[in-house]
Amino acid sequence: MAIIEMDSLTKVYKKEFTRKKVCALNDLSLKIKEGEVFGFLGPNGAGKSTTIKMLIDLIRPTSGHLSIAGRKVSDMSVKRLIGYLPENPYFYDHLSAKELLKFGGRSCDMDSALIKSRSDSLLDQLELTEAMKRPLRSYSKGMVQRAGLALALIHDPQILILDEPMSGLDPMGRIKVFNLILKLKGEGKTIFFSSHILHDIERLCDRAAMLINGRLSRLVDVQKELSKEDTLEAIFMEEVGKSEGIRE
Amino acid sequence: MRGLLSLAYITFVEGIRSRAIFGIFIMAILMFAASLTLTNLFMRDIVKVAADLSLATISFSGLLMVLFIGNNLLSKDIDKRTIYMVISRPISRAQYMFGKFLGLFLLIIASTIFLGIISSIPVYLAGIDYENSTVIFKWNIYLIAIIMIAMKLALIAAVTIFFTSFTSTSFISLVLTIATYIIGTSTETVRGILKMKTEGIEISPAIEAIIQGAYYIFPNLSTFDIKLQASHGLTLPEGYILWAITYWLIYTGIMVSAASIIMNRREFP
Repeated sequence: MAIIEMDSLTKVYKKEFTRKKVCALNDLSLKIKEGEVFGFLGPNGAGKSTTIKMLIDLIRPTSGHLSIAGRKVSDMSVKRLIGYLPENPYFYDHLSAKELLKFGGRSCDMDSALIKSRSDSLLDQLELTEAMKRPLRSYSKGMVQRAGLALALIHDPQILILDEPMSGLDPMGRIKVFNLILKLKGEGKTIFFSSHILHDIERLCDRAAMLINGRLSRLVDVQKELSKEDTLEAIFMEEVGKSEGIRE
Repeated sequence: MRGLLSLAYITFVEGIRSRAIFGIFIMAILMFAASLTLTNLFMRDIVKVAADLSLATISFSGLLMVLFIGNNLLSKDIDKRTIYMVISRPISRAQYMFGKFLGLFLLIIASTIFLGIISSIPVYLAGIDYENSTVIFKWNIYLIAIIMIAMKLALIAAVTIFFTSFTSTSFISLVLTIATYIIGTSTETVRGILKMKTEGIEISPAIEAIIQGAYYIFPNLSTFDIKLQASHGLTLPEGYILWAITYWLIYTGIMVSAASIIMNRREFP
């Protein structure tokens, strides 16, 4: 059963002064199954973040339909199902990670005892326990990224939408986040994430969509289609080559 | 509702912990201390001067706080995209705007209480030093004047929230709020001058219409300025406080509600 459905999703931006139209996403249709780990990859400016922002209701589609668990993405009940990590997250400077997670839990109507136990467990898994009382402005980029991930997970959401979850992380941080995603996959969570790191997508995802110039270029069944010769990198390069050939 | 309240709480915490607020408080304390020296330059009605200076200090410090800290607390959410983190949670955009306003309101209340207590020291000392004042100072009117300043600051905060809902940078919303403040404090006086109809001075109907329009569109901030009554110990006209509260509720409500409607339509690419 599809938990996330996108049907002919199109997003056209108008430039601020010239009002010139720019098509960021063109006729994207995708169905993501419950419990699936779905990778979203493409070059910069391909429309990955635009799609993710539409799933979070930060921007609205110009045309097409979008639903999560059969409901509109603007529905508050849908937001309780989602944990979202933006690309390069930025949080309140003077709050600590502990206070941030408290806010996250309270906004989802969790009781104090549950917030505390979930916070302690997540901060421990993401190695932020020692820094949990420090203001977030004193955190390194990787620590902010991990705090963002903890916030996305505090209410134990069914669906995780992660925009470049590995960006800004050092090798150790990447391993930790990788293992956490793997653990969440084991728990049956639906994970939709964008990444430039093809190797991570190969190792984590059930399926992956390649987005080039705002269009769905190819849908890959990672577990079935890939072999030693047919790597995700080779397929990706082939798709990019095709799109460049078309443009020429 | 818990989402709104927790957002209000973190907005308040973020504001109270900012370094700028300490700077504003230190400046205010220095101004209160300076008012003690300044009052000694006057031969009579020292309590009146002390009360006037203290209330002006609270008002000015509060204004700086709303303009710089308040505006920053809102605009930074959009500039730095912290808003992504809030909107992705079960908090509607209207709740976001009301939560931000409530947080700012709490910050204004806490700051005004702090400044109000400190401000009473020079007024009290001036009263001891100079007992034979012709002015009968009334602490209750002084307290009402402080509450009115807090209301004025909260109204300016609501105006800031309104401007932040459609501007893209903190600078634009800051400029618009300052312009509104200047107009809001002067329309009452300008309208008064207009009503006097000085002989030999012709005022064009267009200017008259603009001033009338500005009077109804922009907030009438002089409603909340009762420094004169507080420093002279004058009693306020009957029903004045009720009128001020009603006006405050309506104007603030309109500003925050309009901001919520605009925010609901806004996209965050």
